Amino acid sequence: MSAPAVAAPAARPGIGRTIARNQWVVGLYLLLAALLAFTFLIKPGYGPADIESLAISVLPIVFAAAAQAVIVIAGGIDLSIGSLMALTNVVAAALMAQSGEVGAVGVVLLVLILGTLLGAVNGILVVVSRVPDIVVTLAMSFVWAGAALLVLGSPGGSAAAWFMALADGTFLIEWLPRAFVTMVVVLAVIWIPLRRSRLGLSLYAVGSDRVAALRSGVPIGRTKIAAYAIGGLLAGIGGLSLSMSTGIGLPVPGPYTLGGVAAIVLGGVSLAGGRGGLMGPVAAAFILALIRLDLVFLGVTSDYSQVIQGVVLVLVVMIGGLVELRRRRA
Amino acid sequence: MKHTRLFGGLAAATVAAAALMPAAVAAQDGYTIGFSNPGGVGNGWREEMICSAKAEALASGEVTGMNIIHRNTDAAGQLEDIRSLISAGVDAIVVNPADYEALNPALQEAADAGIVVVAVDAPVSQPTAYNLSNNQEEYAYLGATWLFEQLGGKGNVVEMRGIPGHPADTDRHEGFQRALAEHPEIVVVKEVSTNWDPATGAQQITDILNAGTQVDGVWTSGIDSWIVDAFITAGAPLVPIVGADNSGFVTQLLTTEGLVGAAVTNPGSVGGAGVRLAIHLLDGMAAGYEPGPEGTILLDPQLWTNATEEGKAALAGAADPSLDPSWPLGLSIPDWTTYTKEQLLACKAPGEA
Amino acid sequence: MTEHLLEATGVVKRYGGVTALRGASLAVRPGEVHALLGANGAGKSTLIKILTGTVRPDSGSFRVGGTERTIRSAAEARAVGLASIYQDPSVIPDLDVRDNLRLTRTPLDAFRGWMAELGIPDLPLDVLSRDLPLPTLRIVDLARALAAEPQVLILDETTAALPADLTERVLEVVGRQRDHGRAVIFISHRLIEISTLCDRATVLRDGQTVGVVPIEPGAEDRIVALMLGPQAERPETERATGPVAAGIVGAALLGAEAGPGGADAGPAPTAAAAPGELRLAARGIGAGSRLHDVSLELRAGEVLGVVALEGQGQEELFETLAGARRPTAGTIEVDGRPVRFHHPADAIRAGVVLVPADRLQALLPQRSVRENVALPFSAPFRRWGLRRGAEEPRKVSAAIERLQVDTRAQAEVRRLSGGNQQKVTIARWVALGVRTLLCFDPTRGIDIRTKRQIYALLRELADQGAAVLLYTSELEEIRLACDRVVVIFGGRVVDVMDAALADEPTLLRAAYALPPDAPLPVLDEAAS
Repeated sequence: MSAPAVAAPAARPGIGRTIARNQWVVGLYLLLAALLAFTFLIKPGYGPADIESLAISVLPIVFAAAAQAVIVIAGGIDLSIGSLMALTNVVAAALMAQSGEVGAVGVVLLVLILGTLLGAVNGILVVVSRVPDIVVTLAMSFVWAGAALLVLGSPGGSAAAWFMALADGTFLIEWLPRAFVTMVVVLAVIWIPLRRSRLGLSLYAVGSDRVAALRSGVPIGRTKIAAYAIGGLLAGIGGLSLSMSTGIGLPVPGPYTLGGVAAIVLGGVSLAGGRGGLMGPVAAAFILALIRLDLVFLGVTSDYSQVIQGVVLVLVVMIGGLVELRRRRA
Repeated sequence: MKHTRLFGGLAAATVAAAALMPAAVAAQDGYTIGFSNPGGVGNGWREEMICSAKAEALASGEVTGMNIIHRNTDAAGQLEDIRSLISAGVDAIVVNPADYEALNPALQEAADAGIVVVAVDAPVSQPTAYNLSNNQEEYAYLGATWLFEQLGGKGNVVEMRGIPGHPADTDRHEGFQRALAEHPEIVVVKEVSTNWDPATGAQQITDILNAGTQVDGVWTSGIDSWIVDAFITAGAPLVPIVGADNSGFVTQLLTTEGLVGAAVTNPGSVGGAGVRLAIHLLDGMAAGYEPGPEGTILLDPQLWTNATEEGKAALAGAADPSLDPSWPLGLSIPDWTTYTKEQLLACKAPGEA
Repeated sequence: MTEHLLEATGVVKRYGGVTALRGASLAVRPGEVHALLGANGAGKSTLIKILTGTVRPDSGSFRVGGTERTIRSAAEARAVGLASIYQDPSVIPDLDVRDNLRLTRTPLDAFRGWMAELGIPDLPLDVLSRDLPLPTLRIVDLARALAAEPQVLILDETTAALPADLTERVLEVVGRQRDHGRAVIFISHRLIEISTLCDRATVLRDGQTVGVVPIEPGAEDRIVALMLGPQAERPETERATGPVAAGIVGAALLGAEAGPGGADAGPAPTAAAAPGELRLAARGIGAGSRLHDVSLELRAGEVLGVVALEGQGQEELFETLAGARRPTAGTIEVDGRPVRFHHPADAIRAGVVLVPADRLQALLPQRSVRENVALPFSAPFRRWGLRRGAEEPRKVSAAIERLQVDTRAQAEVRRLSGGNQQKVTIARWVALGVRTLLCFDPTRGIDIRTKRQIYALLRELADQGAAVLLYTSELEEIRLACDRVVVIFGGRVVDVMDAALADEPTLLRAAYALPPDAPLPVLDEAAS
């Protein structure tokens, strides 16, 4: 190994390297742009109202994916995200039914704290029991789902008007849905400081290489619990977003656990841990929703539509794997 | 940047593929009708609902295209589906709602876009939407009353419900309670939730029989033939059983020795009736129909029992062993559906090959 | 008496029933480079893990700079002034260099300074660590540790995989630490490095500190003697069975290289008096970063021993020969024809099989002895998966009988003792008529009686025409089982000798690539 080989990465300028490191995400946004262009092509009337519908539709899945992403980056996986969303959703709806418009602010804060605590419970159980994450969180998914039914036996409750308005309508210009702005602001407020903190680094460290993390002085157990707690917080926001879009609480968990996993896999988060971010999964959630929408526009039967979505997911991930392999060999 | 090129290529291929595909939804002269069903994919009742909607659209001659979103999801997912149908520019949307309240934001958007909305099977609270449902309260009342009378107003019964929290389950439970109140000497020894899942229901009745509980009659919320099978498997003497008009159960009522029971109709063809109502409304024939939950059109069930000659004839008339045993036999609804049985079984929408 | 910079005393660590350390001690003075030595399994790595806070001891006291300290995590170890560099760099692969530094709170300027000192002044900090070559990562790891200005720097086999020029720089830095009144604990299998670099050495054996030796000319012999322990306790062992070693000179060694420092390895290719035909030959094979240019020949009727310290490339050698790993250089020949194994199944078809140290890796623990022995008969690579009628049960029974497997626990292999499990793995290949066995430490953790039975079995198989390559971590086994022995160090063959002459001291010296002259002085326990 000679000195030039050692210094080789210096040959590329800084910005180029940033793009190279985020190739997958850049590719996803190009794919998203292409899909949007395709949508306008097959549906010339596709306009601001439709973009608004799209933005509000992806809200719950985006937060489910973000929650899952944080946990998976730290080397875990949480199969109770969907149930956590149902539980926080019904708690929010049940409380808002009594709180009034102003009290709803307190309800939102309370639900955020609740989500964080429930996530932390998942994390503590995983760390203390040493039972695999997938088993613990699968078991907990039944616990949270049952708790949701105890809070609301059937759909009900309500949401404050100002709260629902967060996801309704547009912001400044007609092409910018408010749901999208809410999503970006919430994710930025949580993710950017986290990514820059030592905790954020520790999440990546634990997921990437446990031994090296341990030797670097990262407290493995506490970091994992923190990951699950942040995941719980994001799942809580996901539950709130369900309140935002439906206006009520739904005690039966929706398809957000696996939907979130699909979005993070497509979004470039490695299920082995340590790799990925939130930009990719957000794009992936939009891509999956747009594919569904385009298939409706094309009049493709629902059964085929599901098959096509699955095939697209596998294809993109497979192509990504091949590209990565080629890059490593090169 | 090989990577980027690959993605670009993928996108280009998608566009090319789309160009080759005929635009399936093209509203020329007739109407385009959207249908949103958020669950029960593969369930006979829901499949019949979808097929009846397609058949009615075809039989009407006024519909040129249908856009059906039929997947398992929750209320938030159905909101997305309804919005997709709005974006697709349909003239009317028929929904089997996942929830009474939760769909209102999207249904309001549909109303704002001038789209007619009909909710079938269960109502929605949206004041601009029309509701057309099977009368679930009456379904349970009718069946339970028959059962209690059959037992001479006295005995132990099992209530096998559907999915807790589901509007139809809630309504049926109310009807059951109304019948129970009229028969004070009937005792409900066990109330279980089958989740409308055959395996779950069969296991539950087996457990009850194994526990040695005295059971004189069983009321089911549609998981019926599997309960009869469980009795036979367990070697327990058959007791009066109330079920729905599922093909398998009706066949049992006609052929199983010693089985006394009743089938209450709960036609899946309510989907076709919903399409018919939507067409009426699009044609401007709205007179007599009121939007909102108060205006809900209720389709009353019928009861067919093998305890009477008249009932046996009705059962025999409806039975069709060629049908999937999970399909309900209320294949058409008088005054509401106009398709033939062949059209229903073909399950093709207008323009579908 | 100089004040000690680091003093660990009475360190005890048990893992379940196994005691890894039973009262080890280590004292390091300011301004010294201190070697920590011991044979495989002596407890070196456990002691280091404890000092760096990744493992907690059951008991023991630690003084750093004269103050009593507890070390409960890697961060605490760093805070008290202990920094360590391992064989695998402790760098997070999915973080870039800058984030790795932030994770450990390393001052950037100090890091840059040390990188320049170590010869990489211009490393961009926003490169993902996984994209950096391994030697660069090691330097990053080292510079990061140095930037924390540790009182005691622990180098655990750091130089093992460094290219020569970088090794030199690392050693320079080590010297500089000493000059600044700090200390370095140095762990290396390269005794040459130790003798040129270190001031004193602490030797561990069986979890205890058995001596502290000042490094001066001739110290190697004392160190080796300490590592071996009192020789008198070990009875002279006879070869279990088989012909006299001199009569079976079956292994010929081709093109082996001399060890580092010009050690007098001088392996002369010996093709004389070969009894059997050539079965398996490695011609200059290399694999990964651990195995370079190994050539050896294995003939029918012989047991060829392989001796190496931990991590010298022996795993890679066996995996490559068994088809579980593809060679990056060189060729493998079976019966004189070059072969390419893509999968262990290819090797098995060619009659070459691996017997791993972990028996349960090769067995179905919950199935019966018979099923396990019969397994290869029905494995899918056999034509169409058809079983061979009556022939198979007969062969299986014969194999089990021949191996004297205790079949009382026939129902499940996992209930057999380790030794009997190992016999089953060998039995199945015998039943299949395999002619070349690659045994990787087959007697690890097996009682002495069964061990001898296994040696006798290998011997017997060889006498019947099989060829056996045997790696063992227990040096005294070599004379029991082998005809000849090759010694591997740093991924190369450094010596080859007649097994009859290969007593433990000779082998250990050879394994450390020391010159084979000078008889070992007998040392008492209280040396130094």
